[in-house]
Amino acid sequence: MFNSSPITSWEGAEAIFSYADSPMGMAVCFWVMAVMLVVPLVVSYNAEERAEIAHQ
Amino acid sequence: MTPEEMQAAIEALQGLSNTNLEIFYYWCTAIMVLIHAGFLMYEMGASRVKHSLASGTKNVLAFAFMIPTFYMFGWLIYLSFWQGFTYDPVWGEFGLPMSAIMGPNMADQATGVFWGAFTLFACTTASILSGAVIERIRMASFVVLAVILGSVVWNLAASWGWHPAGWLVTEYGYHDAVASGVVHTISGFFALGVLINLGPRIGKFNADGSANQIRGHSLPMTITGLMLIVVGFFGFIGACVLYNYGVGGGWTNIYGGPTTLSAYLFNTLMAVAGGIIGCYACTRDPFWMMSGALCGVISAAAGLDLWYPPLAFAIAFAGGYLGPWAAGQLEKMGIDDAVGAVSVHGICGVWGLLAVGIFLGGYPGFSSWDGFEIPPINMTGQVIGAIVMMLTGFIPGYVLSWIFNKLGVLRAGDGVQRDGMDHELEGIAYPEEIRSQ
Repeated sequence: MFNSSPITSWEGAEAIFSYADSPMGMAVCFWVMAVMLVVPLVVSYNAEERAEIAHQ
Repeated sequence: MTPEEMQAAIEALQGLSNTNLEIFYYWCTAIMVLIHAGFLMYEMGASRVKHSLASGTKNVLAFAFMIPTFYMFGWLIYLSFWQGFTYDPVWGEFGLPMSAIMGPNMADQATGVFWGAFTLFACTTASILSGAVIERIRMASFVVLAVILGSVVWNLAASWGWHPAGWLVTEYGYHDAVASGVVHTISGFFALGVLINLGPRIGKFNADGSANQIRGHSLPMTITGLMLIVVGFFGFIGACVLYNYGVGGGWTNIYGGPTTLSAYLFNTLMAVAGGIIGCYACTRDPFWMMSGALCGVISAAAGLDLWYPPLAFAIAFAGGYLGPWAAGQLEKMGIDDAVGAVSVHGICGVWGLLAVGIFLGGYPGFSSWDGFEIPPINMTGQVIGAIVMMLTGFIPGYVLSWIFNKLGVLRAGDGVQRDGMDHELEGIAYPEEIRSQ
């Protein structure tokens, strides 16, 4: 659906990963990953705060 | 054989060599995962029941967070800051996360396996902090500290002292073949900085300053975990050697100096044995006996490519005495290091660097990079390197944890510590009927 292939033939292919020919595609994936690292930390922090209140 | 056939045969052999090396580093990386299986068991066993799952979760999360962050910026830092704090854009390009070689690439069999091996080095570095702070550090703050240590701090130190052109190597002849300094001293002193701000576990110290021993809930689990760490070290050590395709060929150490896998194996085994026996003789404590294996390997690691094996044994034996002694001194200073990480990794790491200066002086320097005159191994270079490693580890650990402490997000409250850190999680380690204090 998103047509991420950087190659049209295996002949002479080098970088074959999705969006290898698209800086924008790679940037979007990179920043999605970054957000996915921050959100669990916020979730963890909130859980810790709740535990602190419950166990005072 | 025609010249064309000869050329074809050479290219085929080159391709086979690349594939064999790819296999070698792939499995070294896989074996290194056992270090984390070991740390997991070690830390859970060293925790009391009410904290054990939180200790394990913290350890696994550090491992998981290290991998993407090392991809995002850790590898880039290692490759590009070898001159100090100056970024080298030429080498940096190879570590940029949007580089053509940072993913499946049919023209590059090396980057992925080396990135993987270094990622596991980073995970190891972060796991060392993990054990020191069990039973009272908050999860989110720990993960951030682990990421800074594993994906920023140690990479910088490795670029300076564990790189064929690193400034500590090229200017001072610093020699640290298997990372006594760039992994163990860095992480041990980072942990010390954090421990000062984190404070001790509730009940560790009495009002008069004397210390109580807080026993973990499963010493057998801890000892087995330590043995797994030893197994994993063989992957770690294997990934510390490179292959030189140039004249003569053969294995090299991380700087490009000639070596063999046999050299590493002789001395690794001797160091494991020396550390275990030294620690046992010193303490007769099963926990410290197995930690002695780490004390031994870390003490001998910096010169693992060059020791005469009985000397490696003796240096490791001395490390086996030094680790528990240093742990006792830290305890007297009011530092609660739950697993002895500062002494085992930090202090034995420094000892390893100094041992190279004491016993290996005069070995000629070698860099696989052209244009560098590397000084021979010398005591001054090792002392400077040790100081750099201690400060590079300690300062960020202390400053960041000080900030977190001021923000009130570093240490779990007394209520949570008393009831158990596992209460922050959706799960318990053991059935309710065997939960205990």
